[in-house]
Amino acid sequence: MSTDNPNKGHIEVSGISVRFGHNGKSFEAVSGVDLEVRPGEFVSIVGPSGCGKSTLLNIVAGFLRPTEGAASVDGAAIRGPGADRGVVFQQYSLFPWLRVRENVEFGLKMRGVCGSERQSRARTLLGLAGLLSFENHYPDQLSGGMKQRVGIVRALATGPQVLLMDEPFGALDAQTRVVMQEILTNMWQQLRLSVLFITHDIEESIFLSDKVYVMTARPGRIKAEIPIPLPRPRTAEMTSSPTFVAIQRQLKALIREESLAAMGGELADGGLGRDWHLGDEGVRAAL
Amino acid sequence: MATATSMRSVLEPTPDAGAVAPAPVRFAALAAEPAPPALRPAAQAPAAPTVTAGPSTPGRRLAELARRQLPAALLAVVSIGLLVGFWYLATKYRWQFYVRFTNIPSPGQVFHDVGRLVGEPKFFTNIALSLQRIMVGFAAATVLGIGMGLVIGRYALARRLLFPALEVLRPIPAIAWVPISIMLWPTTETSIVFITFIGAFFPILLNTMDGVAALDDVLLRAARCLGASEFALMTQVVLRGAMPHIFTGLAVGMGVAWVSLIAAEMISGQFGIGYFTWEAYSLIEYSHIVIGMIIIGVLGLACSGAIRLLARLTMPWHALGGKGGAR
Repeated sequence: MSTDNPNKGHIEVSGISVRFGHNGKSFEAVSGVDLEVRPGEFVSIVGPSGCGKSTLLNIVAGFLRPTEGAASVDGAAIRGPGADRGVVFQQYSLFPWLRVRENVEFGLKMRGVCGSERQSRARTLLGLAGLLSFENHYPDQLSGGMKQRVGIVRALATGPQVLLMDEPFGALDAQTRVVMQEILTNMWQQLRLSVLFITHDIEESIFLSDKVYVMTARPGRIKAEIPIPLPRPRTAEMTSSPTFVAIQRQLKALIREESLAAMGGELADGGLGRDWHLGDEGVRAAL
Repeated sequence: MATATSMRSVLEPTPDAGAVAPAPVRFAALAAEPAPPALRPAAQAPAAPTVTAGPSTPGRRLAELARRQLPAALLAVVSIGLLVGFWYLATKYRWQFYVRFTNIPSPGQVFHDVGRLVGEPKFFTNIALSLQRIMVGFAAATVLGIGMGLVIGRYALARRLLFPALEVLRPIPAIAWVPISIMLWPTTETSIVFITFIGAFFPILLNTMDGVAALDDVLLRAARCLGASEFALMTQVVLRGAMPHIFTGLAVGMGVAWVSLIAAEMISGQFGIGYFTWEAYSLIEYSHIVIGMIIIGVLGLACSGAIRLLARLTMPWHALGGKGGAR
């Protein structure tokens, strides 16, 4: 698995801009973003909705080419999706026609790993995620949290150095989320890979990360880079520690500014504003 | 997409449309599943390895099944009994009220003649020949329909190049192909098989295309992240994911194939159960007409039953999405 080379998984993104054309108009989704995930680091990106967080992740995953700038993993430019970067999606993305273990084996099968080795590797990882007794279930027989756990295990099965996660717990209820966060940190610590994690949940980003990037409203830029000095392993009690609370307050303030800017922009555009008759101040008062 | 509406227009007039497999699971519907996983592991002890985590003994299961299915089965018997009863009365008293039952054979007569027919090898040759035509025509339609459907559904260039021509041919009913088909193919046998093929091909093609279009894009992205090549993507994700739609196409296609086959056999007069039925009319063996009709019905039912069984065997996962959730 990915423990064989702990010095790999270095993500570098420099000067990335993305423009989308839409009905003849083009708009900038992401503008001049630099970011770095060092080997073995857990990095989150937070920001108001529509700020281009997922766009950034799609670039690193290889689904999208930036209009400007460069992205690389371990010095090699990203040319397309590949098994060196595991991706966990916001939506459930398990193949419904494969059993849990077959889903986990999929990437290994694509690599031509033989049946018995596939099975033993898949079982090891499923055991790590506490899913071994569900190996013969179909995805539709699992709860949302379990599906997402299988999704993580499947992304890890080929032994990637990098794990990219796009709001993976967004669809889960609050309790399940907390459990999933703990499972994820456990797995991350055991496998020591680099993680780029997209979320809009501030608490989640602090709890999980070594470093949090805050993005601005569209076009998304990096507004702040906040290191999280909390010790590891992290526990649920830490969320009420003074350090945690202070960071949380700081992040909230940063994102609030951006959310307001985003909404103000929308109102000025006339998107919502025409019927609302609210100026920037009105919005501020309403919030 | 235009195919969705055009497909529906193909599906609706077919006699078998009611027997079509249920619509495939939409992934969005699954997102609402509430059970918190934190609670689940407690119940996982003897994790059932099979899909049907049903009751324990087969005996009890059978009894349970019988208890639940019995009222429906009784009503089914009543329903068919009423039909036969009406037939009996209408033919016994030779009813005439615009519709004329004067020459219609009675159930007793038909039953009596079945006994006689079973002794004739020619009767079975006709049935075997029809089945063989269906098998060959349908198999060709399956291979070509699924293959072209996958390619057209996945590649825009193929769609733009092939689909317009297919759209021009699609509205022509298979029966309208009979004269051309006889001219086109060297033997009557191959021309009948061709008619059967035409009937089955379009529903299979269009449903396969629809299945490819309905495939959740996130599954394709996930597969590419896991290192799937284009070929693997096609065979292991696109084909598998489109299966529920493909089986819908197969079920509809089978219905249309039968319609086309019987018509072709009646017109071209080269044996087969359709020919048998038409010939009975010419020879004034009226009870044989009814026997032919019943045989055609039973064979059609058996064929779509076989497809539904095959669907259940190849897609054990497909029935799961329906549990508890809205389809």
